[in-house]
Amino acid sequence: MSVHDITLTVNGRKVRLTVKSNELLLNVLRDRLLLTGAKYGCGIGECGACTVLHGRECVLSCFIPAVCADGWEITTAEGLSKDGKLSVVQQAYVDKAAIQCGFCTPGMVIASTALLYENPEPDEAEIKDYFRGNYCRCTGYAAMIEAVKVAAMRMKERGCDDEEL
Amino acid sequence: MQILSDSLIGAVTPRTDAPAKAAGRIQFTSDINIPGMMYGAILRSPHPHAEIVSIDTSAAEAMGAVCLTYEDINPVLYNERSVSIPSATYRDRTVLPKKARHCGEPVATVAADTQELAFKALKELKVTYNILEPVFDPMEAMKDGAPELYDTIYLGDEAVKIHNNIGVIRNIDEGDCDAGFKAADRIFEHHFELERIYHCQLETKGAVCKPEPDGSITVWATAQSIHANRQLLGRILGLPLSKINVKKLPFGGSFGSSIQVNTVTPICASLAMKAGRPVKLITSREEDFYDHHKYPAIFDVKLGVSNDGRLTAAHVKAVVDFGAHQIQPMAFLGCTAGWFASLYKYDGNIRFDGIAVYTNKTPCCAMQGYGNPQINFAIESMVDIICEEMGFDPIDFRLKNYRGPGEEFWGQGPTIRSIIKSSGVEESLVEGREVFGFDERTAPSSKNGDIRRGIGLARGFHTSGTAGPKEGEVIDYSSATIKINEDGSVDLITPVTDHGGGTCDALKKIAAEVLQVPLEMIGLSPAETMNTGYDVCTHATRGVYCGGAAVYHVAMKVKDKLLETAGRLMAEHAYNLEVIRDDRLGQGVVQVKGYPLKKMTVGEIARQAQIMSWGTIAYTDSYRQRNCPPCFTTHFVEAEVNLKTGVISIPRVLIYGDCGTAVNPDLVKGQLIGSFNRGLGYTLYERLAYDGRGRLTNSGLMTDYKMPTISEMPSVEDIDVRICHTYEPSGPFGAKGIGEAALASVQAAIANAVYNAIGIRFFKLPITPEAVLKELKKKARER
Repeated sequence: MSVHDITLTVNGRKVRLTVKSNELLLNVLRDRLLLTGAKYGCGIGECGACTVLHGRECVLSCFIPAVCADGWEITTAEGLSKDGKLSVVQQAYVDKAAIQCGFCTPGMVIASTALLYENPEPDEAEIKDYFRGNYCRCTGYAAMIEAVKVAAMRMKERGCDDEEL
Repeated sequence: MQILSDSLIGAVTPRTDAPAKAAGRIQFTSDINIPGMMYGAILRSPHPHAEIVSIDTSAAEAMGAVCLTYEDINPVLYNERSVSIPSATYRDRTVLPKKARHCGEPVATVAADTQELAFKALKELKVTYNILEPVFDPMEAMKDGAPELYDTIYLGDEAVKIHNNIGVIRNIDEGDCDAGFKAADRIFEHHFELERIYHCQLETKGAVCKPEPDGSITVWATAQSIHANRQLLGRILGLPLSKINVKKLPFGGSFGSSIQVNTVTPICASLAMKAGRPVKLITSREEDFYDHHKYPAIFDVKLGVSNDGRLTAAHVKAVVDFGAHQIQPMAFLGCTAGWFASLYKYDGNIRFDGIAVYTNKTPCCAMQGYGNPQINFAIESMVDIICEEMGFDPIDFRLKNYRGPGEEFWGQGPTIRSIIKSSGVEESLVEGREVFGFDERTAPSSKNGDIRRGIGLARGFHTSGTAGPKEGEVIDYSSATIKINEDGSVDLITPVTDHGGGTCDALKKIAAEVLQVPLEMIGLSPAETMNTGYDVCTHATRGVYCGGAAVYHVAMKVKDKLLETAGRLMAEHAYNLEVIRDDRLGQGVVQVKGYPLKKMTVGEIARQAQIMSWGTIAYTDSYRQRNCPPCFTTHFVEAEVNLKTGVISIPRVLIYGDCGTAVNPDLVKGQLIGSFNRGLGYTLYERLAYDGRGRLTNSGLMTDYKMPTISEMPSVEDIDVRICHTYEPSGPFGAKGIGEAALASVQAAIANAVYNAIGIRFFKLPITPEAVLKELKKKARER
């Protein structure tokens, strides 16, 4: 098995790693960097629990060999909150009771953040379209839709730029 | 149990674990990492029925793996589910079997330094199987000459011979059914079939086990009952319970999937003990798909009805294919009979003939409702048929016949019964009729076009817990410890687990309300078997009602001690004192009743008690509820059927939940909406199909299993959720449960709405587009 030296920027911090070619980004994040926010739910890109940000886009970390992520800027759910303060999206999830068991939540808040980067004022149809790849077995999704809308509204009211998402 | 106007009970307060969950910082089992840990993996049977002749582990061991087979793990005969009393529990399995009885059954296990090495070692295990003929169909399994899964199993300590794969027969007869049917003017009989489905809780089952230097073991596992896990591990590992510590963890959804001690837990613990090192074993999604399923059911239902709209008798025959091991189909049949018996009065004439059959399929376990959604679909569809054919109003008919206040409710089969004291049925049906515009619905025959809409309703319930005035087949009590700290803050230690619905938040609120502490001053302590009394399990919608009652009971004792201590400090009789929450001071204050100038903060009292060496103001106890009140639900659904494609969608739904006092109203609504989503799946999409060789046709893939996603839900503004205005006198602050009730009537409500749209009655779930198109064609031919 060949090994590769890669550099990732994870939640704003640069890390250098030597990875095997069969090592997945999800396993590197969880087992080696101990960032367990991204979850294993299916291992083959079906459920969305492993979703992380690559720049401003959602990617499924269980699907990506770590070697392919060389040079990427990655943000996990842990990295969305800064100095112990939840991001606007995370806070909206808390306030709208959009969290039950919490296992899909890290992936959901990441996906919501990416959606708001792309579309700062999504309507319900656009939110639904964006979340088709993220399963939640607990909530029935309604509270999540409301959370995304609340996050969008708060961003607009505060005149925040999307760096603060 | 008076609720004050500024009460925490009923107030919307963001759940306390939500920030950590949002930030991805809550640790689930799979997030536990221990230095020096090994990784476990399980070899599973590729055959549905095969004797294991030998397992050669030498090549795997040569790679450095630790291996275990049936020869290595203590062959304790057990039932994974231990909420029933031992004499009502069939035992048929060991951790690793000598004979595999379903595809995916664990056969051997390894642990190695890396996951990669563990999987490589797994491939080196050489198993010689003697392949046996399998049987998959329950009707075939009962025939003479069918392959037999078992010869002898045990009921409690008594050996039981198994004939024709019949695991359990449970017949219940009350009143006089024959006379009841004779008294009927019309008799309705229908056959219903419900498929196996899968929990698909987002976190797959797993365990992390760490042997400790003193010979004990610490266990992190996906578990609805930490104490059940500890007790079974004690028997399997041959250790005193004081040497087994199972930690309480959040888990990624459950829906019943961990009501039992999952096989992965004793496997992981045995690996860790053999290796003398920590072992982590997290199952894959595909493995989880083969681990446990929801019980399928086949029902033949017969109802007698009088011309004046009274149900006079009911007879249900049930056949249940529960798979390769008993995870209590006996209790399942009893419960199913109970839900059926408690839905309507039937003039007291009921008969239930239940039979549960072994097949070479995945064992079935609890899944939100334990027979309730199954039998509710049958009975509530029948009620719709009766009303349609005899011209009764579906709401009036239900109001006339339902079992309500003053009547008996079976909370967990025939041995657990209590009297109904609170009911939101009338409120939900009468108000719902107006709110949903139920009376504006038109007959199926008056509709045309390719897109047709219909309105349907169904009502249901579930129990709150499994306790009655008399102890029955099921164990039910809970425990709690509460202590007041020297700054007025409070620690709550509870063994009650939280599936994600917010049970533990409710428990915190109950303690905070009794002791009048601000919510942020009460902490939920990490809990484990070592520092908690017994709690049977978070199942049967008992978390808030039973777990909460234990917390309430202990909090009241702590309050007594607090007032008594304050009395000594303030030179007042305790009965002259009261404690009230002072949000300005950020803690509770004890004051003289009617003379609030004389007061001390709770923190001062606790600190003085410490300085005077009087002791900590704390209490520990167990508590058993003595009722099993039903929490009722009603679903009004509008369904839209596309006649060209057969696709059904749900434009609108009105949901009523009767949970007594809603401790956390937003979380109650979350339960009701989440359950509606799962009910959509159960009714329209989900089905575990087998390929004839014992394999699942979805191959362990979630997308091929077809659960509802966000796209199938009605729009947010078309989901109307209402909480009934009821108060359960036996519950903590008037609360009962909601969890499982939330699913009970979804299926029938959707099916009844589909009937109203296209005039076709579906007796099998799921109602797939293919099924709709087939029935439409049949109907067109008949015309």
